[in-house]
Amino acid sequence: MLKVENLSVNFGGVRALQDVSFEVQTHEVLGLVGPNGAGKTTSFNVLSGTVRPTAGSVTYEGHDILKSSMHQRVTFGIGRTFQIPQPMHELSVRENLIVAQRFGRPDGKVKQERIDEILESVNLLHKAEADAATELALTERKALEVAKALATEPTLLMLDEVLAGLETTSKKLFMQTLKNIREKYSLSMIVIEHDIETIMNMCDRVVVFNFGKVIADGDPEETFRNPEVVRSYTGEVPA
Amino acid sequence: MNIKISALMLGVMYLGVPFFLGDNDYLIGLVASALIIAGVAVAWALLGNLGGMVSFGHAAFFGVGAYTSAVLTMDYGVPVFVALVVGGVGASLSSIFMMPALRLRGPYFALAILAYAEIFKILATEATGLTGGAGGLLSIPSLPVFAGVDFGTKLGGYIVILNIVTLMLITYYFIRRSSYGLALKAMHDSELATRIVGVPATYLKVVMLLVSAFMTGAVGAFNAHYINFLEPDYAFSGTWTVFPIVAAIFGGYRTLSGPVLGALFIYLVDQLVFKNLIPQGHQLILGVMLAGMIILSPSGLLPVITNLFTRKKADNKRGEAQHA
Ligand SMILES: Nc1ncnc2c1ncn2[C@@H]1O[C@H](COP(=O)(O)OP(=O)(O)O)[C@@H](O)[C@H]1O
Ligand SMILES: [Mg+2]
Repeated sequence: MLKVENLSVNFGGVRALQDVSFEVQTHEVLGLVGPNGAGKTTSFNVLSGTVRPTAGSVTYEGHDILKSSMHQRVTFGIGRTFQIPQPMHELSVRENLIVAQRFGRPDGKVKQERIDEILESVNLLHKAEADAATELALTERKALEVAKALATEPTLLMLDEVLAGLETTSKKLFMQTLKNIREKYSLSMIVIEHDIETIMNMCDRVVVFNFGKVIADGDPEETFRNPEVVRSYTGEVPA
Repeated sequence: MNIKISALMLGVMYLGVPFFLGDNDYLIGLVASALIIAGVAVAWALLGNLGGMVSFGHAAFFGVGAYTSAVLTMDYGVPVFVALVVGGVGASLSSIFMMPALRLRGPYFALAILAYAEIFKILATEATGLTGGAGGLLSIPSLPVFAGVDFGTKLGGYIVILNIVTLMLITYYFIRRSSYGLALKAMHDSELATRIVGVPATYLKVVMLLVSAFMTGAVGAFNAHYINFLEPDYAFSGTWTVFPIVAAIFGGYRTLSGPVLGALFIYLVDQLVFKNLIPQGHQLILGVMLAGMIILSPSGLLPVITNLFTRKKADNKRGEAQHA
């Protein structure tokens, strides 16, 4: 359903992505891993439209999305979260989801029951009327990040390190929440995550980035036995 | 709270001002002039509050509205009240030229729009056939008699500009509480967050620019028929940008009635107090007042008033609780 082909991104002299290709099948959960600065977030930025690639193509369910605006891509069903949560300022948690429904859904309909259901599913219902930018703890900010994306009713949900920075218990709970959400809304997902255990637990397949290139793509267990992958993780420069 | 203050303010403006000042042409004229500033201030604040666009170019919309309406009434015999609306439309059309500037962020948008405003002033000066050039347009028709009321008087003009400002506030209020308003409010500080959930941010900014330009143009058109005279240096004067900005920030540009209260306060204090004390350069005091307000209450006068009210209420409640 998602097909990324030969994507390259340059920032001045920095080659953030070089000839990157990967696919995501319907209902698949793909893990994106790799050291800091490998180009994982940049791939999300290209897919969601905040960064224009220098070369390559991306199709999603038949749409050539690089030609589409950011808001069109949302209505095609691509939703994402940011590594650093981006709540809509000056709005309550509920209003954040109202805006996401109103503008993110193709029909633009706001359904309160659906909003409550989403808030419930990420354990945020008790904070529905809280100010999104100032009254949430870290876990809640991350939950809102997911809830906003869900409110646009995506078919592909891209999560950028939503579990990072959480302590072990909340991390476990949140991971279970994500798995439930995936079942409930039968989503495809791309998950950026550093924690190998989390990737093993959540993902059907994994793509490994290093220095802007894909160095491995396959079954998580096999991939993490690949010596090149292990080397990239321990921080050595590939030969 | 905010809406109560707006209602109270409008009540005073509709009943109190005509009742107490109605037969003093000088004072009612001053309040009407303050409302002209207020109208532009509301339009400017709408653009700044919803969408986060800071404009240094509202004088262009004011001038285009003024000239559109003046020329239509003088050369084409269009009725004045119709021409006021078309003046707004003219200003909206002129804003289309500025839309490329919406791609710029923050100060660059503000400066680009300032440059556009200067270009419009130059064009108006050069287009002598239409605008009378630097010599100006004389004897622009006054506001007419309508439904038996002579709106050409000072009091009549006051009622018209008050109606215009009220309509603007009502429009602003409904935009703000719509889902578009929610998205626009969020765009002020978190545009990326809105775009990523599907908000067509640029489109919403375009709409706000059209609305704000329309409002400013209508006020400019009103002014032309109120003072019956136009020249480019006056109609496109930077004063029509600076005064409303000072008023809006002073009153609270993120609130509904703040810009109106700010304009009334700033303009009346300037004209009634400082102008008498310091005939030359009295506007300097405005800069000092603005600086003082920004230091004491960065969100402006209205939040200070609101706080006073709510504190009193809280005190009352505490009192009641003690009595119970
Ligand atoms: N907007 C940008 N401007 C310049 N350089 C950028 C930008 N975004 C990312 N980069 C650079 O691109 C590289 C990849 O970054 P990123 O995709 O964020 O890595 P990560 O895999 O940690 O998410 C890094 O060297 C980063 O500094
Ligand atoms: Mg990253």
